[in-house]
Amino acid sequence: MTSTTIIQHILTGISLGGAYALIAIGYTLVYGILLLINFAHSDIFMMAGYFMVFAMAVMPWPIAIPLVIAVTIFLGVVIEKAAYKPLRAAPRMSIMISSIGVSYLLQNLATYLFSALPKGYPTISPLKRVFQIGSVSASLVTFLTPVLTLILVFILMYLINHTKLGMAMRAVSKDYDTAKLMGIKINQIISVTFVIGSAMAAIGSILYFTDRMSVTPFSGTLPGLKCFVAAVLGGIGSVPGAVLGGFIIGISETFLTAMGYSTYSDAFTFLLLILILIFRPTGLIGETVTDKV
Amino acid sequence: MLRSMTKKSTTLLNLTAVVVLVTLLYLLEINKNSFGMAVSILQKSVILSIVAVSMNLLNGFTGLFSLGQAGFMAIGAYITAIFSISSDTIDSVYYTSGLAPWLMSFKLGLDVFPSAIRILFGLLLGGVVAGLFAALIGIPVLRLKSDYLAIATLGFSEIIRAILSSPQMDQITNGSYGLKNIPGFAIESDFLPVGTGSLLVPFAIAALCITFMVMLIKSSYGRAFMAIREDGVAAEAMGINLLKHKELSFIVSSFMTAIAGGLLAMFMRSIDARTFQISMTYDILLIVVIGGLGSITGSILSAFLVTASKEWWLRFFDQPLITGGITIPLFRTGFRMVVFSVLLMVVVLFFRRGLMGNREFSWSALLSWPKRMPKAKKGANKRG
Amino acid sequence: MDNSASTVLALRDVTMQFGGVVAVDNLSLEVRRGEIVALIGPNGAGKTTVFNVVTGVYAPTNGQVSFGNQVIAKNSPQGKMQKLYAGQNKGVYKGSVQPTPDQITKKGIARTFQNIRLFKNMTVFENVLIAKHMNMKAGFFAAVFRLNAKEEKNMRAESLALLDMLGLADLKDEIANNLPYGKQRRLEIARALATKPELLLLDEPAAGMNPQETEALTDFIHQIKNDFNLTILMIEHHMNLVMDISDRIYVIDFGELIATGTPEEVQNNPAVIAAYLGVDE
Repeated sequence: MTSTTIIQHILTGISLGGAYALIAIGYTLVYGILLLINFAHSDIFMMAGYFMVFAMAVMPWPIAIPLVIAVTIFLGVVIEKAAYKPLRAAPRMSIMISSIGVSYLLQNLATYLFSALPKGYPTISPLKRVFQIGSVSASLVTFLTPVLTLILVFILMYLINHTKLGMAMRAVSKDYDTAKLMGIKINQIISVTFVIGSAMAAIGSILYFTDRMSVTPFSGTLPGLKCFVAAVLGGIGSVPGAVLGGFIIGISETFLTAMGYSTYSDAFTFLLLILILIFRPTGLIGETVTDKV
Repeated sequence: MLRSMTKKSTTLLNLTAVVVLVTLLYLLEINKNSFGMAVSILQKSVILSIVAVSMNLLNGFTGLFSLGQAGFMAIGAYITAIFSISSDTIDSVYYTSGLAPWLMSFKLGLDVFPSAIRILFGLLLGGVVAGLFAALIGIPVLRLKSDYLAIATLGFSEIIRAILSSPQMDQITNGSYGLKNIPGFAIESDFLPVGTGSLLVPFAIAALCITFMVMLIKSSYGRAFMAIREDGVAAEAMGINLLKHKELSFIVSSFMTAIAGGLLAMFMRSIDARTFQISMTYDILLIVVIGGLGSITGSILSAFLVTASKEWWLRFFDQPLITGGITIPLFRTGFRMVVFSVLLMVVVLFFRRGLMGNREFSWSALLSWPKRMPKAKKGANKRG
Repeated sequence: MDNSASTVLALRDVTMQFGGVVAVDNLSLEVRRGEIVALIGPNGAGKTTVFNVVTGVYAPTNGQVSFGNQVIAKNSPQGKMQKLYAGQNKGVYKGSVQPTPDQITKKGIARTFQNIRLFKNMTVFENVLIAKHMNMKAGFFAAVFRLNAKEEKNMRAESLALLDMLGLADLKDEIANNLPYGKQRRLEIARALATKPELLLLDEPAAGMNPQETEALTDFIHQIKNDFNLTILMIEHHMNLVMDISDRIYVIDFGELIATGTPEEVQNNPAVIAAYLGVDE
């Protein structure tokens, strides 16, 4: 590999990692607050892909993008209200099954409505513009993704660490019951979590699919799985952790694919999960939690 | 009065039921040509009932959540297929790169045994390999919160699928072309009517597998599993080694799932990696949830009901429906699965106990059903 | 009197630190054969943490726990804790022994929990029967295929006999969760006894009980102590019960031992009074 191709791969990897990071944030926030692996998150991401396909068919991208984000947020919140909220008092396994049920429903619904055949993802022309820096050339989306990811993460971190809302979110995630007793409106905080998670998934989806060119009802599954692993890798519950995990997985996947091991790049993600669970179950920058007995 | 039904009469009822069932299955299988649909539904149902019960063993009785069913089934299916495809036709199956020589010579070595033995060997080997994978995944993952098992097994399942269809595996799994010419269940013999065994063989194997799991649940180990489900910390304080027992449950469940995968390969006659997508795991979960987490008979009943509705009774959802010259708009390909996913959500949200809750089928309950109905709750309390 | 020969449980310089918080600070205590010892202290003093260290739920950060003449837990600050460690006697205990709770139970220490932890959806009988699993000789397949019918029969008979002794036999088919509160407490003790312990740890056995129930519990504890030849260490807030029943008392506050002695000695100890009532320095 020449240095040019290495730089090229690093760029692609960082870009993919940025999209993964945005999706991983959704997993990590929901897990932090509800202790739920939101299996439906990967399908929210997939649905956002379809929304974009249909939005771009009738309107220009500057209108389509905010609209798609709004519709995705709506979908995320509706799922929370309909499928998770009624199960607050139920055993944790029930709510996990419910999230799988939603995932199953969204996939089958997408197959029914849009057929299982891949749908071409629209081209957002400014994102596709190719830039040339020295001997390295890449489209705008490649440069934009990591920058946008970092900006969004900084805004999110500010929100979490320096606003009242963020303080409430942290409180709920630390101790659900006590937070409730202290008068924090749990349901409102949970909704906010889903709003943020879905918005990030929608933006991640635009960045991800622009590079992939097509959407199918199952295109959310594998990226979703990887992003959850990214969240675990960084330390579930931690936003910077999810971002770090997303970048690590994105970059390593790009390099493995470039070396001709695309089949094994998925296996590698899984191996990472097993390794992190063996050696550092709390993730790279997660904190240790001691279970109370 | 009915509660005092003697052990003797229960045994008698059970025996009668088995005789009636075997006779019915036999009559159906030798008349396969006229009852093709029924036979194939029954085959698929009984195979899925093994997977459903083994998922329930883990999920409903041990409180662990594995989503690796499709992956473990794939392992069982491929291994069974490789060992059961006749050596004569193997070249036509692996027409691109041929079967790996070491595997071929192993297969030829096995050819001294009758085909039934080879198939059985494939099924068991599939189970053992799946069990080994389960043990390996379990060691790091089962120490942690049970959530991680779900995601790790789901990941495992996807990886297995990717590896099975990868070009590097061409000489073993035939890559993305998949395997065909897998023999079915029917026993080929000059003395038996054509079709004999099509149903009795899978039913017999399922009966063995499910009986094993039921006996496990009712044993001291089964009680230990349930204690872990109820409260892991307390179970540990009772001297139960958590990791060991969770591993046991996970291994047995995965072993059985792989056996069912092997049977599925024989049912389908041809398989490829796409057969074992995550949606397959979700289909099983649907069966278990509808049957009731923690009820073996619920899982079995649900496997038959769900499969029959999906493949037969509710097929019409996928066909365009025209009444009085008007085409009803909703009915077209894919609608059936939407209906099923909505059904799953309805059960999860509103009927969390499913068909059977955590109760089991019993003759006395069935026979006293009409009378008991209005007072069902009272009766349950009394027994509880 | 030769103490060491009859010592059942001994904690030496046990410190338990979570992150920067020291929950148990350099605690040493001793329970001798046949004694009832109470561990008391204000809420949050670290009493339950002591139980969790003894039963293997937590590995101590530093110090040693021995049961009879066997060291069952030992540790010194490891990894990150080496820097964070705020306790004493660092580096005194070499090597590390970290058993899991089930291993501790097998050695003969049983416990109950502050917030009752029964197997809620199982019957009273099954709750007790579970305890017999750990000593089962039959292997996995032998148990599944019922080749151990005789052993299983014995396990059931023993469990039934135990329930009978503790006055729970008529409730044996009840679902544990449906029992009244007092009975649930009693069942939890029965379940612990079914493991045939030498040492029983009771974590607030009288919590939530009225005076009559507490009195009945006092008799019950005396009864089981004699019938099962037990040594008992208990955490309790009901002072009447504690003063009535204990041979000796250890008082801890903020993880530190502040007093020890007979009930009379402790009752008159100014440090104890200060810890409970608060005193202006």
